[in-house]
Amino acid sequence: MVPLLVWLCDQGQHQAHATSLAAIIAIAGVAAIVFAQDGSVDVRVGATLAVGALVGAPLGARLLAKTDAGRVRIAFGVLQVIVGLVLVLQ
Amino acid sequence: MSAELIVITILAGVIVGAMSAFFGVGGGLLMVPFMVLALGETQHVAEGTSLLVIVPTAVAGVIAHNKRGFVDFRLAAWLVVGGVVGAVLGARLALGTAGPLLRTMFGVLVVVVGVRFVYQGLKARPSIDPG
Repeated sequence: MVPLLVWLCDQGQHQAHATSLAAIIAIAGVAAIVFAQDGSVDVRVGATLAVGALVGAPLGARLLAKTDAGRVRIAFGVLQVIVGLVLVLQ
Repeated sequence: MSAELIVITILAGVIVGAMSAFFGVGGGLLMVPFMVLALGETQHVAEGTSLLVIVPTAVAGVIAHNKRGFVDFRLAAWLVVGGVVGAVLGARLALGTAGPLLRTMFGVLVVVVGVRFVYQGLKARPSIDPG
């Protein structure tokens, strides 16, 4: 969504990110309702994760911004590849 | 949930929040594997729960961005019109797909995103000056 908003709607990177985040509230909310109707939502786990995520987002963003972005990106990518392979092979 | 599991889940949430804020990626890429592999949730429940978590975290992000005047709510509303249709179709498709197949497809997506991150990271690193 972000590149589309930058390219088509002439928005800046920050504005595009913020606007897409606003749209995601409703989009993720509706999808979550469809999953909930199927009984495929664990509200207790979700609430616990959300508490951590709300605390982590501002703290982590500040901390990570001071580190070598390239190195963090590589480490994150390697972790994702390993996790993805475990999901596929399990 | 045991006390240990609650602490581990909150810590996982902290990491998810931090990584999502830093990289601008959806938290689902981290949350879904955590719930499947560490908590033993099914792929369907992990995806549904991850979508639920995205709502309050996105609200917090929008409040912060809105203070700096970055949110275009009218444009966001137009995105929602199309996005909601896609979200309902995507959710129904996911729920109609067998759990193991859905997990394999999600795993492939995670690998692809991971490879892209490694590539971008290597490209972003400054080249070593031989002097």
